[in-house]
Amino acid sequence: MGIRFNQVSYDYSSFAQGLYTAIKDINLEITEKNEFIALVGHTGSGKSTLAKHMNALIFPTSGSLEIFGNIITSKRSKKIKYNSIRKKVGLVFQFPEYQLFEETVEKDIMFGPMNFKITRDEAKILAKEALNLVGLDDTYLTRNPYNLSGGEKKRVSIAGILAMDPDILVLDEPTSGLDPAGKRVLMNLFKDINEKTGKTIVIITHDMDLVYQYFNRVLVMNDSKLIYDGLPEQLFKEKDLYINHLDYPNTIKVLTYLNQKLNLNLNVYQKTNADALLEIKRAAKL
Amino acid sequence: MSYIEVKELSYSYNNKTNVLEDISINIEKGEWIAILGHNGSGKSTLAKALVGLLEPATGEIFIDGTLLNEDSAFEVRKKIGIVFQNPDNQFVGVTVRDDIAFGMENLCVPREEMLEKIKFFAKKVNMLDSLDKEPANLSGGQKQRVAIAGILAMQSDIIIFDEATSMLDPFSREELVKYIKTLHKDGLTIIMITHEINEALLADRILVMNKGKVYAFEETEVIMKKKEVFTDNHLELPVALDLANSLEENESHKEIRDKLWEYALIK
Amino acid sequence: MKNIIIGQYIPGKGLFYRLDPRTKIVSVLFIMIAVFLLQTIEQLLIALGVAIIMLLIGRISIIKVLKGLKPILVLLIFTFIFQIMLNREGVMIVNQEMQLTIFTALFLLLALIIWRILSRYIRYRFLLFLAFVASIFLILVYVDFGYPLVNSFSFKIYEQGLRMSAFVVVRLLIIITLSTVLTLTTKPTDLTQGLEKLMHPLKKIGFDSESFALIISISLRYIPTIFDEANKIMLAQASRGADFSEGKLKDKLKQVISLLVPMFIIAFMRSEELANAMESRNFVPGEKRTRIYELVFSYRDVLATTISVLILAGAIVLKVI
Repeated sequence: MGIRFNQVSYDYSSFAQGLYTAIKDINLEITEKNEFIALVGHTGSGKSTLAKHMNALIFPTSGSLEIFGNIITSKRSKKIKYNSIRKKVGLVFQFPEYQLFEETVEKDIMFGPMNFKITRDEAKILAKEALNLVGLDDTYLTRNPYNLSGGEKKRVSIAGILAMDPDILVLDEPTSGLDPAGKRVLMNLFKDINEKTGKTIVIITHDMDLVYQYFNRVLVMNDSKLIYDGLPEQLFKEKDLYINHLDYPNTIKVLTYLNQKLNLNLNVYQKTNADALLEIKRAAKL
Repeated sequence: MSYIEVKELSYSYNNKTNVLEDISINIEKGEWIAILGHNGSGKSTLAKALVGLLEPATGEIFIDGTLLNEDSAFEVRKKIGIVFQNPDNQFVGVTVRDDIAFGMENLCVPREEMLEKIKFFAKKVNMLDSLDKEPANLSGGQKQRVAIAGILAMQSDIIIFDEATSMLDPFSREELVKYIKTLHKDGLTIIMITHEINEALLADRILVMNKGKVYAFEETEVIMKKKEVFTDNHLELPVALDLANSLEENESHKEIRDKLWEYALIK
Repeated sequence: MKNIIIGQYIPGKGLFYRLDPRTKIVSVLFIMIAVFLLQTIEQLLIALGVAIIMLLIGRISIIKVLKGLKPILVLLIFTFIFQIMLNREGVMIVNQEMQLTIFTALFLLLALIIWRILSRYIRYRFLLFLAFVASIFLILVYVDFGYPLVNSFSFKIYEQGLRMSAFVVVRLLIIITLSTVLTLTTKPTDLTQGLEKLMHPLKKIGFDSESFALIISISLRYIPTIFDEANKIMLAQASRGADFSEGKLKDKLKQVISLLVPMFIIAFMRSEELANAMESRNFVPGEKRTRIYELVFSYRDVLATTISVLILAGAIVLKVI
């Protein structure tokens, strides 16, 4: 078993808002192999807090979670090596600027593995492998991470986590700020890593088109609670996403509009433009 | 003369390759212009040049007939304001009230007048109840709205949005776009740099930039019919238009095609 | 990081909120000087009384001020205990025999356990801590049976020691209360503007008080942002196995660098963007600007300044005679 949340709640207190419940009574299981999961929810719904629990960066206020056999509760336990959990579950933050600090890409990627008592030579090999895994060639090793483009920085920051060879990879809005083409390239990369290495990947995103096209499991957070865990298509059929400040995939929106305006009977649940086109052509023939 | 005229504008950082090359565009008063182009195409550089934050290597910019240069920058900036990408890095004031006031303070607007205008423009962006709030307690979308109020209070009638929605979640993004629509209705000239094709569709005209040059600058309806503009610039057509373009040009599809166009261009 | 009480403005109404920040800064400064001029504990206690009356008049919750004291509580207690222990002048007023026996040790251990357990559930931890300290004394004094572990010793308090420790603590208490009143009732913006106006005459010697005030207010505005960011960077590096609590010195150094470099680079990018945003809104350093906040001097300010001047004068007179 990879990660299991058991009635997990997390409160934090701030001067402005007083006591604030970020997540409430979360029950959730994520297996350590082959899963590809989207985590969605409006801003402030608690999805980032949920993600930070997954590698024990923060501890639940109440409830407990099990991460690769370690039981995490509100109290720090001396028996648990929290650092080793972070090696098993890698968390990539939204902005690469938060973690890049070395003068070369190679050194920066090596920082993670080197924190786990391995030799420099081993770390170098891992860095190179991780860099190739995110689709950058060896010429990047000697470059300064701060002179890279936004998309490249993002890849290097992901490589920095991949180099620790985690079983589960959690990414906080990795596609934000990229243009549509860049988004797709990165998503294909994640899918590729997932299929090649069997690592479970959890991705926080706002983009419902991506959710529909790439994932077969989606978690929806709303007002601190996990309100959905299942297939994306089922989500779009069952829930009124607008209430939860979420959107529908564009294909569904466009086809629904056609149905309304032209009294058609299109099946609106089409993942891609190509599928939608086939559906329109089918309906037009009738 | 157009409201904004850019004539043969070029710009380069440290005299290396040109970030902007020979840009000539005219924008009329009250128009909504969207600027598309992938990262590094020079969109943001053009925006900065328009508000006089960069000095062009060659070429000229006229705003409402005034040539933009070091001496005229102060006057020109009364007309043209810019909302940047990162909501946190442009919020100067300690509170919402202070931030809306900042530009007016620089223009030496008398205090009484400032207080009235702050109320008026805070109401316009629905921040009247939050005048005493600090930026730490505001969402990204709210901060962007405060930035808009600050520009409006300076009596500017051109606002540039430099990827101002890109760090917001879809919900706040949509909300901000609603405010931009009302600004446009009020007669302001809007220049919106964006990655979101759906946002660009709201514009009257779209400027596509590529490697520092103007690739295309045409009416939204016209440019959306040119598939090659999108494929050449790593842009994706909005779903509805991609479907419309893929449907064969025959009678049985005409109705659907029209509706798809209608959907894409709802303003 | 948002819940630092010290130096925190809390919105409210009352006399001190209506005073001009310049008045408050000057008055607090005068009274502080006066407090430093006082020489006896009696005078200081009167001053403390005056400070408390001030709080009551200004309708400032004393609990909030006490909360402001929290960060320096440990300092206060240590000062107090050290002064009592070390100063051996004057009449001895307490001479208490104490003993450490096997049973005292047991009781002490018990008290410690009870304190640790209770402190998890009780809100007023400080009161509990005081109770714990008091119980240590009681146990040391009254539990005199059982096998003695060390020779019995005596705990002595001298009059002068008590006086001195009370003196130092009360003085600190007054100073902190005064400055808390200032920051509690004055918006940071008003405070900086008050400072700016007070330092305006320094323009003659080339000090640009307006830019200074702007720098302070922008720093104030970005403190929460930077703390928030530092926290995120720390979590991001912790996710890469940087363990800030353990590790060798050499590893630690690297980990600190992994925090500082991103912080500086982000701050650098931010300052550039901020400068652009300010310039695009027509900010020109050194140029004349109007202000949204206007400081108005009223009869209250005259009164408050007069009172503080009188207090200072009184303290000077006391010092001279």
